[in-house]
Amino acid sequence: MTAALLWVATIAAAYQALRNFETTPGRAAAAPKSWPQASRISRASDWTLVMLVHPHCSCSRASVRELQAVIESAPSIRPTVLVYRPTGFARGWERTDVYEAATRLRRTRVVIDDDGREAGLFGGFTSGQTFLYDRNGRLRFSGGITSLRGHAGINSGRTGVIDIVSSRGAPATHPVFGCAIATGNAKEQR
Amino acid sequence: MSTMTNGDPRVEARAAELRDTQVRERRAKVDRMFAILIAIQYLAGIIGALVVSPYAWAGKERVLHMHVWVAILGGAGIAILPILLAIFRPGTVLTRHVIAASQMLSSALLIHLTGGRIETHFHVFGSLAFLAFYLDWKVILTATTVIAADHFLRGVFWPESVYGIANPEWWRFLEHAGWVVFEDIFVVWACFLSLREIDASARRQAEVEYLSEQEQLKTAALEMALAEMKATA
Repeated sequence: MTAALLWVATIAAAYQALRNFETTPGRAAAAPKSWPQASRISRASDWTLVMLVHPHCSCSRASVRELQAVIESAPSIRPTVLVYRPTGFARGWERTDVYEAATRLRRTRVVIDDDGREAGLFGGFTSGQTFLYDRNGRLRFSGGITSLRGHAGINSGRTGVIDIVSSRGAPATHPVFGCAIATGNAKEQR
Repeated sequence: MSTMTNGDPRVEARAAELRDTQVRERRAKVDRMFAILIAIQYLAGIIGALVVSPYAWAGKERVLHMHVWVAILGGAGIAILPILLAIFRPGTVLTRHVIAASQMLSSALLIHLTGGRIETHFHVFGSLAFLAFYLDWKVILTATTVIAADHFLRGVFWPESVYGIANPEWWRFLEHAGWVVFEDIFVVWACFLSLREIDASARRQAEVEYLSEQEQLKTAALEMALAEMKATA
């Protein structure tokens, strides 16, 4: 009986640890309300979506998959994926399956973001962070588009972006789940 | 043949003995097979976690991903008791019920580690088919209860991890459990059919043994009578 109770307790502890990990969002962005003028990304004449991605973040596979769903549902969006690359790593460090998946997205520009400089301009800290700006350069959405860490599927982040573009939704936000883009805040990001 | 044995209680007792031995040996063998399978699943879970999500990153820094820890420690938590029971107490009721629960928990863990992928749910159905080798419908009931409870509780507290959406209908776990019950109907039926076949086979063997014994007794009696006749002649 003791062994059985110990067994159940161990399993419950593992579940709880996993739940805590996967439901705890990353640091939310402090996004500027208007398009950052210093950005070297060209803003589209219609909707512009910017997603920050850490190429080694396994959770970001789900973010890229959700971005694909957004692109298919909202043809007027012009997405840019900013792939984080810190200095000190060999060229090609960023060429992971997450990067490759981003390059296969339709109508999407993939830009290497050295040391997260562009991410900083957008006020983002977490891989998967998504910004949506309208044709006037006003921020309409800031947040993640997955429901949990590494979990693809319908969620209010993804539907929020689609609803805004189809003029059905008000400006929105959603928790972002992913690895940290910038160093110096490692504890809160993990 | 049964008319020849005419419901002899010795035949009935021998048939029950043969059937029980065969079923017990079979269940002990299935326990050992599950011990191997659970160990393989444990290693596969770790390898899968190391391949799919080895590290969590914070900028330049990396640490071992939580999934790897859960695969190692949580997976060990799921696997250790059924493996020990299969080794040290094979063939017992407790062992096969713990194995059934553990197998379903392994399914739940694998479903989670793969981000709730619908394809991983097939592990549940494969496991139920394998659990049917025990020829014990109560084991299927235990497995079904565990996976339904897992889906219900996660549906309440953590729905995204099992359904991929944040606000599933409250009855969504019943839909998943319904498909499990659909399979259960057939595997439980198969259990009863197999038990019936084992029972018939044991009965036939008991009757053959009984008839053979009767023949030997008759032969011995005849030989004795012949010997007595020769002695008196």
